[in-house]
Amino acid sequence: MEKDSMVGELVRLVGRENVLSSDMHFKLYEYDASLIRSKPDCIVLPTSTEQVSKVVKFAHDHKIPVIARGAGTNLSGGSVTVRGGIAIVLTKMNQILDMDIENLRVVVEPGVITLDLKNVLAKHGYLYQPDPASEKVTTIGGNFAENSGGPHCLKYGVTSNHVLGVELVLYDGQVVQVGGRALDNPGYDLMGVLGGSEGTLGIVTQAVLRIMPKAEAVKTMLCIYNSIEDGGNTVTAIIGEGIIPATLEMMDNLTIKAVEEAYHVGFPTDAAAILIIELDGLKDGMERLTERILDICRQNNVREIRVAKDQAERDKIWAGRKGAFGAVGRLRPNYLVNDGTVPRTRLPETLAKVVEIGKKYNLPIANVFHAGDGNLHPLILFDERDKDELKRVHAAAMEIMKTCVEMGGTISGEHGIGVEKIEGMSLIFSASDIAAMKKVKAAFDPLNLFNPGKLLPETERAA
Amino acid sequence: MSNSNQLVSALNGIVGEPNVIRDPDQLKAYAVDGLAPKAVVNPGSVEEVSRLLAYANSEKLAVVPRGNGTKMAAGGIPRKLDLVLSMLRINRITEHDIPNLSLSVEAGITLSEVQKKLAGTGRGSFLPLDPPYSEQATIGGIIATNSSGPRRYLYSTARDLLLGLKAVSPNGDVVAFGGKTVKNVSGYDMTKLMIGSWGALGVITEITTKLLPLPEASATLLASFGDLAKAGSLTRKILHSVLLPSAMELMDGKAAGQLGEKAKYLVAFSLEGVGEAVDRQVAEIEEAAKSEGALDTRVLKRGDDRTFWIRVRDFALSSAAPIILRTNVVISKLPEILGRYETMARDAGIGCALIGRAGNGILTSYIRDSGAAQTGPVADLIGKFADEAAKHEGNLIVESSPHELKERVSVWGRPRSDYVVMRRLKETVDPGGVLNPGRFVGGV
Repeated sequence: MEKDSMVGELVRLVGRENVLSSDMHFKLYEYDASLIRSKPDCIVLPTSTEQVSKVVKFAHDHKIPVIARGAGTNLSGGSVTVRGGIAIVLTKMNQILDMDIENLRVVVEPGVITLDLKNVLAKHGYLYQPDPASEKVTTIGGNFAENSGGPHCLKYGVTSNHVLGVELVLYDGQVVQVGGRALDNPGYDLMGVLGGSEGTLGIVTQAVLRIMPKAEAVKTMLCIYNSIEDGGNTVTAIIGEGIIPATLEMMDNLTIKAVEEAYHVGFPTDAAAILIIELDGLKDGMERLTERILDICRQNNVREIRVAKDQAERDKIWAGRKGAFGAVGRLRPNYLVNDGTVPRTRLPETLAKVVEIGKKYNLPIANVFHAGDGNLHPLILFDERDKDELKRVHAAAMEIMKTCVEMGGTISGEHGIGVEKIEGMSLIFSASDIAAMKKVKAAFDPLNLFNPGKLLPETERAA
Repeated sequence: MSNSNQLVSALNGIVGEPNVIRDPDQLKAYAVDGLAPKAVVNPGSVEEVSRLLAYANSEKLAVVPRGNGTKMAAGGIPRKLDLVLSMLRINRITEHDIPNLSLSVEAGITLSEVQKKLAGTGRGSFLPLDPPYSEQATIGGIIATNSSGPRRYLYSTARDLLLGLKAVSPNGDVVAFGGKTVKNVSGYDMTKLMIGSWGALGVITEITTKLLPLPEASATLLASFGDLAKAGSLTRKILHSVLLPSAMELMDGKAAGQLGEKAKYLVAFSLEGVGEAVDRQVAEIEEAAKSEGALDTRVLKRGDDRTFWIRVRDFALSSAAPIILRTNVVISKLPEILGRYETMARDAGIGCALIGRAGNGILTSYIRDSGAAQTGPVADLIGKFADEAAKHEGNLIVESSPHELKERVSVWGRPRSDYVVMRRLKETVDPGGVLNPGRFVGGV
């Protein structure tokens, strides 16, 4: 279809004020937080389910690819229109529709910003658990599509454990309800497969989220180490003792320095590693549990322990952790963040390999990780204008993914496959596995118009 | 050679003659809704399952996967039944990674055997699932039916616990999804799709799950009420408090009576965790119960508490109720609906015991068998129950039922708008209709 007539039709469907089609806009929507870039043919910002449905129906009738987009913070190219088509930006659908506290649910539109929702809930004493580091800007729709994690998912699970229902626009524009406020709806767990499907199966226009009362007590500890191995061993030992804290986060020296320079949160810049351990729940027994954890830290040569005395001190520690990517971003023009995940006991070994890979390719790598989950985030720093360096970055990223797989892990813990890791899929899945996933895709999206070119490799190569 | 002989020689060729049951008398025990299979096969490996399904697919045979058969009275009436595929010989613990708190087991092992092994290894851990019949139920059956129990209030269900699984697709392909990491977004989350798919998308052969360390302490508190509104008010109060019971069950007098408790309404709490927190929760809930007007509160003695929860979990066994209904509603309406069901059953003159998962909005109705004459009235009652559930964004499924009743009610409840996708999914994954045809939602 001609671009001009496409724009004309879309204007008719959603109104001129909700269609963007200038070169400047194409430039603004050609990227996300990955290195992938590609311009859409048209951008629409629908304001209702009905409009989304009309746009999808139009795209279906004319076989135009569509891609749902929130805040564009995706780290794997998931929000970039690699095959052109219509970018459906859902940021105008940003209302909290129902605070159904009585049933421990909220119903929201996909464009609601995660932290905004949490702030509203906090006023009522309730909590939506998932806490991706980018929660200040990311949207619920994006979180669900990518199945985002966050520090607290060690104890509380990832986004898909907290999204119980959606209103979904199917490939032909039909609108259906999947899941809902009540648990255990009969039939296949379509919610399960929609979470983390990266916009390849449908477009969510409403979501039902599980909320819970805020925990009575929280204890946050900052543990400082002279060796990264000691930090890693502490993590293994804590879980091995049968203690599952709410978070077990770790950062290496390069990250600590970057964070400290950017935010001045009081992290010691000479430390090899810091571990942020948080407990939450009932206050009873928490002191004893804290003491047990600190004992384990001491047995593993901790240099210093700081226990946050109040909310202000806690906020400061978390500001340092959540700002880590941003801070590291100041060091060089670009970074590529890896998302490999390993069984947590293999973390120290994997980390040593990542350091080796950095040396081998002569690239600085800063490490931030959800240590309790075994989820690594090596941030490879580079300058994309240096083509040789860029080549080395991709080679190093592939090698890190392979290492994680060899350790019994996987290539992505919470950032998604998108375009960036699509080559890595054959490291973990057989041709039959991928064929089974393609059947799911075909059942939801027979014409392959939802976010084409993502998540599933086109050819089925055996591992 | 007749078709029947061909079938037998093909099956014998795959699993060996001793692992094929052909005796008509024995086959009767494997009938589903009165329909007996042509054969029961007992494969000993995933490879044999794969070859069996590939064969069934090419011969257009209908296959019903089976563990210990605790849920064979569930589901729609099969459209066709040729083979029962027993998973009991595929029953190993394949990996117990203690420091990583993860476990991989094959489908045919029973949950009780798994729990025994876990409790006795290292510091002791457990798989936090407590579904009905857990002495007999196999892991494969529990996961395929997404079966759960009272403690899901704290520990949730299989979808929040499983890290990965292996299965055989209807065409015989062996597939593996997920892994052993607690976070994983590589590819579609096929593990969740397989959980609760009732064997209609594939035969689960192995699962990998998270484990939890055994709790340091536990206690059980019972509060009896003369008035449902007051009992409901207590559950609501706890639901919105900072307290974290592992189970909170609200039941009517009939259910309580069958558990040996004298009460018009009973609220049962299970508390687990660190010792200090358990003690405090018992004290606070007891106090809350009294202030809500409980007639009596009681902490069960060690030993008695274990028995109590096994009996709640396995209520169907002790009550000899062949008809089990499961209603899901928004959490806050559970007490009210329990009351409505109680009245409706009484008005219909039908004996019905009610147990509600007050923290999850799941209400189970156990109806005694009163013979064929009652089929009509019971079907009418189920219709009324379903109407009531629908008012509160819920649904009603028939979890267990005699064949005659299934012909008169909708086993999987009211159709939902997403069935269009489910039907397409089944057609795409299993175009030959090999696995459990007719038994799952929407007749797929």
